[in-house]
Amino acid sequence: MKRSLFGRIWPNATAVVLFVGFVFPVYWMFATAFKPTGDIISDDPVWFPTDATLDHFKKAVDADHFWTLVVNSVTVTVLSVVLSLVIALFAAFALARMRFKGRRGLIVTFMLAQMAPWEVMIIAIYMVVRDNDMLNSLVPLTVIYMMMVLPLTVLTLRGYVAAVPRELEESAMVDGCTRPQAFIKVIFPLLAPGLMATSLFGFITAWNEFPLVLILNKDAEAQTLPLWLSQFQTAFGDDWGATMAASSLFALPILILFIFLQRKAVSGLTDGAVKG
Amino acid sequence: MSVQTEGTDTAGEPAVRKARVPAPPRGDGRTAGAPSRGRAAAPYLLLLPALLATVVLLGWPLVKNGLLSFQNLNPRQLIQHLTEWNGVDNYREVLTGEDFWRVVGRSVVFTAVNVVLIMVLGTLIGLLLARLGKKMRLLLMLGLVLAWAMPVVAATTVYQWLFAQRFGVVNWVLDKLGWHSMADHNWLETQFSTFAVVTLLIVWMSVPFVAVNLYAATTTIPGELYEAASLDGAGTWKSFTSVTLPFLRPFLLATTFLEIIWVFKSFVQIFAMNEGGPDHLTETLPIYAYVEGVGNQHFGVGAAISFLTILVLLVITSYYLRLVLKQEEDEL
Amino acid sequence: MKRKLAAAIVIAGMMVSVSACGGDDDDSGKNAGPDSFKGQTLTVWAMDGSTPDQWVKDVTAAFEKKTGAKLKFETQKWDGIQQKITTALSESTPPDVLEVGNTQTPAYAATGGLADLSDLKKEIGADWTPSVSQSSVFDGKQYAAPWYFANRVVIYNKKIWAQAGIKDTPKTRDEFLKDLQAIDKKTDAEPIYLPGQNWYFFDGLIIGQGGDLVKKDGDKYVSNLGDPKVAKAMDIYKKYAAFSKAPKDKDEATPQQAEVFAKGKTGAFIGMGWEAGTAVTANKAIEKDLGYFTIPGETADKPEGVFLGGSNLAVAEGSKKQALAKEFLKIALSDQYEGELAKLNGVIPNKQALESNLKGNAVAEAAAPGAAVGGTTPLIPEWGAVENNPNPIKSYMTAVLNGKSPADAAKQVEGDINKRLAQQN
Repeated sequence: MKRSLFGRIWPNATAVVLFVGFVFPVYWMFATAFKPTGDIISDDPVWFPTDATLDHFKKAVDADHFWTLVVNSVTVTVLSVVLSLVIALFAAFALARMRFKGRRGLIVTFMLAQMAPWEVMIIAIYMVVRDNDMLNSLVPLTVIYMMMVLPLTVLTLRGYVAAVPRELEESAMVDGCTRPQAFIKVIFPLLAPGLMATSLFGFITAWNEFPLVLILNKDAEAQTLPLWLSQFQTAFGDDWGATMAASSLFALPILILFIFLQRKAVSGLTDGAVKG
Repeated sequence: MSVQTEGTDTAGEPAVRKARVPAPPRGDGRTAGAPSRGRAAAPYLLLLPALLATVVLLGWPLVKNGLLSFQNLNPRQLIQHLTEWNGVDNYREVLTGEDFWRVVGRSVVFTAVNVVLIMVLGTLIGLLLARLGKKMRLLLMLGLVLAWAMPVVAATTVYQWLFAQRFGVVNWVLDKLGWHSMADHNWLETQFSTFAVVTLLIVWMSVPFVAVNLYAATTTIPGELYEAASLDGAGTWKSFTSVTLPFLRPFLLATTFLEIIWVFKSFVQIFAMNEGGPDHLTETLPIYAYVEGVGNQHFGVGAAISFLTILVLLVITSYYLRLVLKQEEDEL
Repeated sequence: MKRKLAAAIVIAGMMVSVSACGGDDDDSGKNAGPDSFKGQTLTVWAMDGSTPDQWVKDVTAAFEKKTGAKLKFETQKWDGIQQKITTALSESTPPDVLEVGNTQTPAYAATGGLADLSDLKKEIGADWTPSVSQSSVFDGKQYAAPWYFANRVVIYNKKIWAQAGIKDTPKTRDEFLKDLQAIDKKTDAEPIYLPGQNWYFFDGLIIGQGGDLVKKDGDKYVSNLGDPKVAKAMDIYKKYAAFSKAPKDKDEATPQQAEVFAKGKTGAFIGMGWEAGTAVTANKAIEKDLGYFTIPGETADKPEGVFLGGSNLAVAEGSKKQALAKEFLKIALSDQYEGELAKLNGVIPNKQALESNLKGNAVAEAAAPGAAVGGTTPLIPEWGAVENNPNPIKSYMTAVLNGKSPADAAKQVEGDINKRLAQQN
């Protein structure tokens, strides 16, 4: 296909403009975090943090209980993601590969569950947790975050399982594998991109959640990082250096995880496409 | 639950898969032999943990929420653990008040504007990705993934800084571009401009999901289809409408459905930006439920609004849900 | 509402207190506590800024010595505090002792979440200033102990004022505004930091005009923002705010105005005495430039009206350590530590006999004339709900500052206020 000069230039030009548009907020967060305060509140923006400083990060990390909150956030996030993957995998397999009564109803149930507006049920959740004496604990947080991502995980993994050619599984069974063995040896490896993709979704949901932890866990030792970030912002509203440093610290793990997993997930997708 | 909006590279995938493997033959694939009783129970056993979790962790709060919506529940009752049934008073209060329907209308418009923007821009950028050379594609992908991965709490904070009245970089740029009245503009001053900032934020963090997955889906379109189309004398536009669009239709439907849910449920973006202000004017249903229920400590009324919020969401998505029901029927 | 009277009594006390001091009788060692308290921990929720470090240290030492139990202070932020307290009081392990703002106390007393402290009042509260302990009385029972009271003053940066060539602190509102203008012209500092939603300052202005936030309509309370006196107060607020670049839709805590001031580029702000401490913590160098004066009124003989803010200490009804909590109150409110708090924070103590502690305290001396004409928000249980976020009074202020007429702005929020005032408990 021949293209005119214009035809060749505009996609690239658009791509560059879009790249800048999408990256700028992220860049500005990191840049502000490293700039000395004088450069942040200056009448003309300082575009590059030439006199980089770590002061804002020090202030952010100095907050009470910071490291406890880090541990809490990581614990809750990892546990809820792992739990939801395991539970969803079972369900997804049944929904994709087996025929049974009520299958359609269950799929719709998960679709509906995925729509649950959690923030608006906060008082009900609070009262259930309170009446079961589970406040100030990481357990309710973990299982509720797990539930927040479970429906989408089930539905997504179901798509992945369904896409694995049935013949592969069958030939494994002909070779003497039991059905569970066939699943582990044949299907599971092919699900890797799907597992990564769904776990990303879980990570980001659990990592971000704060209205619930705000009301369930008043004990500072049982709180998580989003609370630290939002309170930080209220207290230091105009100290943008410190606020951006806190935001950077908060975003960094997810950014790294995303870049790492996303590539595999997408490449897995495209690989599959070539074969398909 | 805006939180999810950006986090979901995953969600498109079932749709992508569906697009790639159009309705795999099913139903007759069972391996030989009459199913034993254990076999018949197998699917239920596999589903048991997920169902149990759904009933306990979602069903219970939902039922509790339903019960609370028929109670007079204020600080006194909450503190003393009193249960005071008040029939449908809460619903009457909400439904006869002038606020509720205004908020419903606002939520629908807000959702529609955002979803249209996200889907159109996402699709265009996805198609652009397919047209780019390898290096440019990687670059743009990187930008998209970074925006996508920003946790919503951090992203909202960053947008507040970008649009800050003093020293915010957006005001500076507008001022330099000759729009001098924007020099110390307060973006959160009016309903419209607060929504504008929130919309920009939501679109910014949601477009990558659509774009990246749509690009992935286009790579699965068999080349022969385009060849056949061009043999028929189809131009670029024609082959787009006759090949690309039909192929992507299931993907676009599923993604639109997810975006509707996510945008409708957006909480952190709006609440952290301006707490539904100025003067309650940017309250969408989830914010309204939160402000009336938790903020105003009118918990019973809040529960009633929650319940109505769920109903509204169901109505909005009913078209797609019906479609899925039908499709599942066809597949089996 | 007898709030004027309340303030008058407080101030009368302050004026005569110079020689009336009863001395610091140390009774903390008298009855060694029962061993049954050993191993227990008492949790106390205090608000941001209420408890100076030294005071916490001294009280903790005295408490632990007397009771053998441990004491844990947890500092709370004002933002969202009502929801936090409400839910906490409903839990099986609430904070044992908590600080409750005087405007919110009646609402909490009515919820049944606070323990009846009438006995304690008999024991140690005979000389509590009656007017200030009144906000804690509901249905004839005492639901909290008055702790301290304070009102806002002008905290200013002496260096900047000197640069602007101002020799003396202003005695009238017009002088004050002229001074701000001078700072604006002659220095590059922001004359005053006054965000659009410092509604306690606004309430003071209303009190100064003789207005009120609510009025009675039959047996109900309804919004009174449409009153011309309120509009007049808002007009004064607007004049001050014109000298500030602070956001019109934020209150004084977001960001903390004392931290803004601490950067040394602000001429003045209107705040509580303890906020000076916040500024010094943020920037030690600001300490030598700090000055205080009474918010000046229309004429030199009568200072501006102020909101007489105060805090009470309450015990959660659900606390399982009632006896221990009362031991804590006895220590914290003893003449020694109540006096120490007054001295350290420059706040008005809960009994007149202790006001001698304020002698020579620059903040307290600036605050005293204002307190004489101070008042509070309506001390009715219905009021608490109005202060819930988003506070309609703040919306009113922002609307007016953004150019709406006071009458239109009042109309705009009236429905919201009335709805909250009518909210059942």
